[in-house]
Amino acid sequence: MQITINDKTIEVQDQDTLLEIARREGFEIPSLCWSKEASHKSSCMVCAVKDLSRGQIIPSCTTKPVEGMHIDTKSEEVMQVRTMSLELLLSDHRADCEAPCSLVCPAKLDIERMLDFYDKGQREKALGLIKHAFDLPKLACEDCKAPCEKACRRGNIDRPVSIREIIKELTEEVDVANVEEIVNEAINKKLFQSRLGRFNDSEKARLKATVTAPSNCLHCACAGKSDCQLRTHATAHNIKRPGYDISSELQVMLKTKVNDTMYFEPSKCIRCGLCVYNSDNGFTFKDRGFEMEVNLPEENKKNIREELASLCPTGALYLVEN
Amino acid sequence: MSQCTCENNDKLSHEEVMAKMDAIIERIGTSRKVIIPLLQAIQDEFNYLPGEAIERIYEKTEIDRAQLISVSTFYSQFRHIPYGKHLIKVCAGTACHVKGANNVYDSFVRELKIKDDSITTDDELFSIEKVACLGCCTLAPVVQIDDKIYGHVAPGKVGEVISEFIETTEAKEEKAGKVKEYKVAGEVRLGMGSCCQASGSSDIYNELVKKSGELGIKVDIKSVGCVGVCNQVPLIDVVLEDGSVKRYPNVVASEIKEILHHHFKSGSLLKRFKNIIINSVDTYHTDTTWDNVVWKSEAERTGLIDSFLSEQKHISTEGYGFLAPLDLDEYIHHHGFESLKKVIAENKPHQVVLDVLTSGIRGRGGGGFRTGEKMKIVASSDKKYKYLICNGDEGDPGAFMDRMILESYPYRVIEGMVIEAFATGATQGIFYIRAEYPLAVQRIKRALELCQERNLIGRNILGSDFSFEITVFEGAGAFVCGEETALIASIEGDRGFPKQKPPFPAAEGLNGMPTLVNNVETLSQIPYIIRNGAEHYAETGTENSKGTKVFALAGKIKNGGLIEVPMGISLNQIIEEIGGGVEGGEKLKAVQIGGPSGGCIPAHLCDVPVDFDSFNQMGAMMGSGGLVVLSESDCMVDVARYFLSFTCEESCGKCTFCRVGIRRMLDILDRICSGTAKMEEIDKLEELALNVKKSSLCGLGKTAPNPVLTTLKYFREEYEEHINGLCKTGKCKDMMQFVITDDCTGCTKCAKACPVDAIAYEPYKVHSIDQEACVKCGLCVDECEFDTIIKVPVKEEVYANNN
Repeated sequence: MQITINDKTIEVQDQDTLLEIARREGFEIPSLCWSKEASHKSSCMVCAVKDLSRGQIIPSCTTKPVEGMHIDTKSEEVMQVRTMSLELLLSDHRADCEAPCSLVCPAKLDIERMLDFYDKGQREKALGLIKHAFDLPKLACEDCKAPCEKACRRGNIDRPVSIREIIKELTEEVDVANVEEIVNEAINKKLFQSRLGRFNDSEKARLKATVTAPSNCLHCACAGKSDCQLRTHATAHNIKRPGYDISSELQVMLKTKVNDTMYFEPSKCIRCGLCVYNSDNGFTFKDRGFEMEVNLPEENKKNIREELASLCPTGALYLVEN
Repeated sequence: MSQCTCENNDKLSHEEVMAKMDAIIERIGTSRKVIIPLLQAIQDEFNYLPGEAIERIYEKTEIDRAQLISVSTFYSQFRHIPYGKHLIKVCAGTACHVKGANNVYDSFVRELKIKDDSITTDDELFSIEKVACLGCCTLAPVVQIDDKIYGHVAPGKVGEVISEFIETTEAKEEKAGKVKEYKVAGEVRLGMGSCCQASGSSDIYNELVKKSGELGIKVDIKSVGCVGVCNQVPLIDVVLEDGSVKRYPNVVASEIKEILHHHFKSGSLLKRFKNIIINSVDTYHTDTTWDNVVWKSEAERTGLIDSFLSEQKHISTEGYGFLAPLDLDEYIHHHGFESLKKVIAENKPHQVVLDVLTSGIRGRGGGGFRTGEKMKIVASSDKKYKYLICNGDEGDPGAFMDRMILESYPYRVIEGMVIEAFATGATQGIFYIRAEYPLAVQRIKRALELCQERNLIGRNILGSDFSFEITVFEGAGAFVCGEETALIASIEGDRGFPKQKPPFPAAEGLNGMPTLVNNVETLSQIPYIIRNGAEHYAETGTENSKGTKVFALAGKIKNGGLIEVPMGISLNQIIEEIGGGVEGGEKLKAVQIGGPSGGCIPAHLCDVPVDFDSFNQMGAMMGSGGLVVLSESDCMVDVARYFLSFTCEESCGKCTFCRVGIRRMLDILDRICSGTAKMEEIDKLEELALNVKKSSLCGLGKTAPNPVLTTLKYFREEYEEHINGLCKTGKCKDMMQFVITDDCTGCTKCAKACPVDAIAYEPYKVHSIDQEACVKCGLCVDECEFDTIIKVPVKEEVYANNN
């Protein structure tokens, strides 16, 4: 059969979806809730296109072509729908892409990563990052007003992580000369930055009681930030801040251990359901409407396969290095 | 859903629970598809879903944990924590909302001293919840405690309702004395729909039985279906030997004896004599009784009803007022099943489809798709199995047409189904009925049994080679399941997630087979079309909307009720001629039609004819047919917010625009209603609304913004007023406060009435209200005889500018 995408008329088979056809023909369509080999149900509407014959906005990821169909993939109206769907998803996405401390460090030290090494007892590696950031590590924070500590989210709970003291401790106790330098990845400030906002009282109480790492660091940075499609599309659609007040029913930074290598953080979830549809008696939906969440019952953790993490379009389900 | 009869569930041993569970599983089945009926049975047994019972499901059935959590948390019927002995359901339907349901709920919580984070009293006697709609809109505000429905519950009457309930449940039923039976003197008909029962028709029924026994008057007491005149119930018709009918609206139990005595004579001479003496004594002492029964002229009592009925046309409700719902012989006597016999005798299924097409009938469920077209698609499929589903999942708050039809005319719907099945080759039928409609479920089940006995359904219907089985599926409480693909998903044992169309269910529906889904009301019109001819049917109505439409007329209307009118009649005619105008002499402001999917039509456009297309053009829609009349004292922004909070809760949650978009719209509306929004947020609201409408995938999301868009279109100035801090009607509580003027006489009534002691008791002094403590329930205003308590805007400058 023949269909027209934008101004291009093409011969197509009816088993493919519009998304696949359009991408094959070189038209760019973003998507979040779709993955080629996985079962899915269209939900995110980031892949929206307009069926000009019927005047309707449709999800290209599940719609099959029909003879004579005329599809618009790039008009202003279509772009507006996609942008709005991303903005709406982001308004329910309480999470930090980058840790605030790392974002503000004048020396471009990836503080959160450094603290991660520190908390794992890998003091040499922590110092490796410091060594890379400062010419004279021992004088690292000497004249700095410590914007990192002012930005620290822990300060919102009790007191900020004593970043300068930790750096001082490392430089004094570990021999800098013998430490191998580790490169601090530069933070790309052009990328969309999701911000977590303020903690509510119950979150504060929970985090205070449960986060007891040696440094006290909450580790705000997102483990999935490097391959987060939500972030990629938000950047591509030129979104600076979500256009709506952020609110969510979900507790932030509730990092559930799925197994030794995998974690699940519901407040980053966009409820696309890929992990639900592609696990057998594993993840499940709970409740409905705005309150609907993706849930993993304790008893079902054993049914989760590692490949599932790669299906998650955000940093909600992620693997950790051991 | 029936209440738990067992009082000591917590005392059941583990073995007992397991034994009960095994029996339930044995009865219902073990496949993944039976999860909803299974959970319903468990909740019926234990009053909630106990953890150990659930574990047994994993052991004994194919249902796993993921499916169970997914399904049991999707449907609002299922409870995961134990409830108190009695459950109070406060109706939060549209009609109840505009009449102050929130205040009623708050009053119950206060009266029962239920704590903030709980829904159950400390003694575990009562639990309380809000429900979407009890379908008794004309009696708003309505509250149901267990199976007993209370109408017109004012916040100040909550205490009385609770004590009345406790008294009646504790009191033992008084048994009617046994009497010798004599010749039947006549018939008394009593409406026994849910609304009628809510107004006490069960008490009237019991009284009729008791008093006719006492008086020795043998009359047939017949419970008929909904009489539609919900504002005049309980209503009884006395049918005399000569066939004439005397009608008594708004009867109370104490009048029954008089009415019986007035019309009938006892069979026994002695009793007759005794009755005269007793009666004259009764009369002498209780002249109120006489006042009610005799002194009101016939016309006075029935005139109102005549005008209520004059503009109506009964097709779906044919047999109105005299058909006993379950009396199959009577239904057959009044042309029932003639249409079915006709189509089976003629044996031209194709012709039936053609007739339905010719009649022009469009689906009554909301979309208005041509019924004949749907039938044609199903009929043209050569699949071996085809399904026919009667959609009775009427979840629209403010609509109760389907409930009434199912309760009152079960056979008509069944006949419609069998005819459509014959025409399309459907092999299996399913009644999908909300579990919140226990009476409808019960009557349909019974009616199906009786039809089975007469071979009107089942194998080889009426001796032909056509077979068609019908089962009943109880919906578990999800508005979205009114959408046909979501409905099918729920029958398949899944969350009610709608599917993208195409494929339409008519091509690929339940279990992947062609499935015809028709609304209750649509099906009830089919027998009429077949019996009277498609052309005759098409004579009623407008160009593109044929036949009649049943509406639930409620809200600020003098005579609310269930009405069936020909398409093309104007809204004004409905309100003025049938409804008797706006309640309390107020001015009409708007009509909300189509519930959460519909919109508000302003008064100046109410000359519009009732028609699918004319409503659509105005941004409203026919929907299922809830018609809520709004007066000058209703706030349109509040109405929009009300509907949006409904759809926000009822959204299935799958798609972004509906799940998050509606929530963000509601955030803005919340700010507007509390006076904290900025002017530009109105535009933002509109932009969001348009995008949610455009980009949602199913009917719920596509129509959810309608209440907002229509009110923005016709009442934008009200939104602007709110931004400036003024809600003229005082409905938006955050923007107004009650103050007592200096005219206060110090009578202290308000202080006594205040449930939260916000008014200090100061006899002979001008009282004042502690604004911090005040919950703005308005009880003090009702109590004040000197009208010295007034509502004023919280923002002082707004108050100054408007006075």
